[in-house]
Amino acid sequence: MTFRLTCPVCGKRDVYEFTFGGQERGPRPGQEGLSAEDHFRWTQYRLIPYAPGEEWWYHAQGCGLWFKTTRDPATNREVEE
Amino acid sequence: MSYLRLRRLWKPSPLKRRYEVVIIGGGIHGLATAYYLARHHGIRDVAVLESQYIGFGGSGRNTAIVRANQRTVENVRLYEEGLKLWRVLTDELDYNLMFFNCGVLGLGHSEASVSAFRMLCNTHNFLGVKSELLDPQQCAEMIPGLDISDRLAFPVQAGLYHPPGGVVRHDAVVWGLAKGASAHGVHIHQGCEVQGIDTEGGRVTGVRTTLGPIGCKRLGIMAGGYGGAVAAMLGMELPIHPLTIQAMVTHPLKPFLHHVFSSGAYHVYANQTLKGEIATGAHMDPQVNYTNDATAYYLKHQAEALTELIPALRGVRFMRIWAGLADMTPDMAPIMEGNLGYDGLFLDAGWGYFGFKSGPVAGKYMAEYMATDERPAMLRAFQLKRFLENRYSGETAAAMKYGHWD
Ligand SMILES: Cc1cc2nc3c(=O)[nH]c(=O)nc-3n(C[C@H](O)[C@H](O)[C@H](O)COP(=O)(O)OP(=O)(O)OC[C@H]3O[C@@H](n4cnc5c(N)ncnc54)[C@H](O)[C@@H]3O)c2cc1C
Repeated sequence: MTFRLTCPVCGKRDVYEFTFGGQERGPRPGQEGLSAEDHFRWTQYRLIPYAPGEEWWYHAQGCGLWFKTTRDPATNREVEE
Repeated sequence: MSYLRLRRLWKPSPLKRRYEVVIIGGGIHGLATAYYLARHHGIRDVAVLESQYIGFGGSGRNTAIVRANQRTVENVRLYEEGLKLWRVLTDELDYNLMFFNCGVLGLGHSEASVSAFRMLCNTHNFLGVKSELLDPQQCAEMIPGLDISDRLAFPVQAGLYHPPGGVVRHDAVVWGLAKGASAHGVHIHQGCEVQGIDTEGGRVTGVRTTLGPIGCKRLGIMAGGYGGAVAAMLGMELPIHPLTIQAMVTHPLKPFLHHVFSSGAYHVYANQTLKGEIATGAHMDPQVNYTNDATAYYLKHQAEALTELIPALRGVRFMRIWAGLADMTPDMAPIMEGNLGYDGLFLDAGWGYFGFKSGPVAGKYMAEYMATDERPAMLRAFQLKRFLENRYSGETAAAMKYGHWD
């Protein structure tokens, strides 16, 4: 089953209107003193437990807004706050 | 009529509180590892813990295509040995795995893919693996009804045919391996979900499950697409994105499609099953998740792509759609590791949508690794640390991007 995400501008829309932007992981580590290993870890490693987490989404086929929402990878659905 | 009598393929076993080896995941990777531990290494005190039923994961959901036409030497060698194992196992397990050696044809629709095919073809032949370049006319002779005209937005420009490939009955592999493992003394526990992993002084000591705690000396995380979530129980980050991938079948047709074919540009691959259905698979959903959600969106996409390439399929109906997980790594190659962060912790994950054809061979080498503590030479290229050392496998030209990162 497909599902809907809540765009802050357009409201609930089909998930295929959006582009997944990945987990919210705080600011990107600063370049100063960043080891190659830490950089690879930042770009590729993820912790993806069965628990809701904040994510970035882009309403590509809608209003063009980048926004954050909370979704649970265990259920694939947005979690109502 | 004794030959009609139903016999259990594997026997239920009592749940012990301790095993030498515990394997998380009753898919072909976990079952094959258990089978080889017992058969090749005499380690029979093994439990396979499966949260649902064996074959619930990708092993019972894949489109069953097997081939060895990878890009890099390490991967070609691994998958080639994997291909050879189907015949051996059919014998050894005394179970018909229904290997249908029909060959696999890849279609190229751009200049870039034609030169990629050339490179692949030469790599394969150099390594003694059969592959040949075909022109569009030859492709149309292999795939009746294939439209090679200029009508397509991206006309067919070449094909890469790989005769050693084909399809294998995926359920039979699960059942056959369960049968073989059980016959060698392995315990298979279904409905037993691992919820936590216990460690002590840098060693794995056991797991906590819905059926209580179970101790072990060695633990294999072989949970397919769920591997990242299991590793997360130890707070372990991995370069793995679990994505849902969908597949579907049409109603049965008279046999006409005698090879597997795939088209990267049209995001479609298909073959005709022995029952006559066209089994076909599609894109992955882009957002990380652990569900088996199938969607009408891809049903429509798949119908469009298939009928664009083979117009005669218009009007044929899809009967079923389903989905499973693909655990994607940045270089499209797997991770096979031992003593990972903890003594006794083994990981076999990141197979993406390549984990069916590799199941038995991965199990064979993971069993050797678990039994000896020594990394088999075949697995050297599949270490986790390659991702931290900028030594990606080279299966893809550039690192894959799943969701945005920078
Ligand atoms: C639609 C689709 C098409 C595919 N097509 C192909 C193909 O054509 N060729 C190919 O080579 N590969 C293909 N694949 C990939 C292939 O199916 C998988 O890579 C492969 O099945 C992985 O096998 P596995 O044994 O590692 O994992 P799985 O078969 O996923 O088994 C893992 C098991 O672990 C269990 N589990 C998870 N968490 C726990 C826990 N906490 N405790 C206990 N048990 C747990 C799950 O229930 C599951 O049964 C496809 C996959 C899909 C979904």
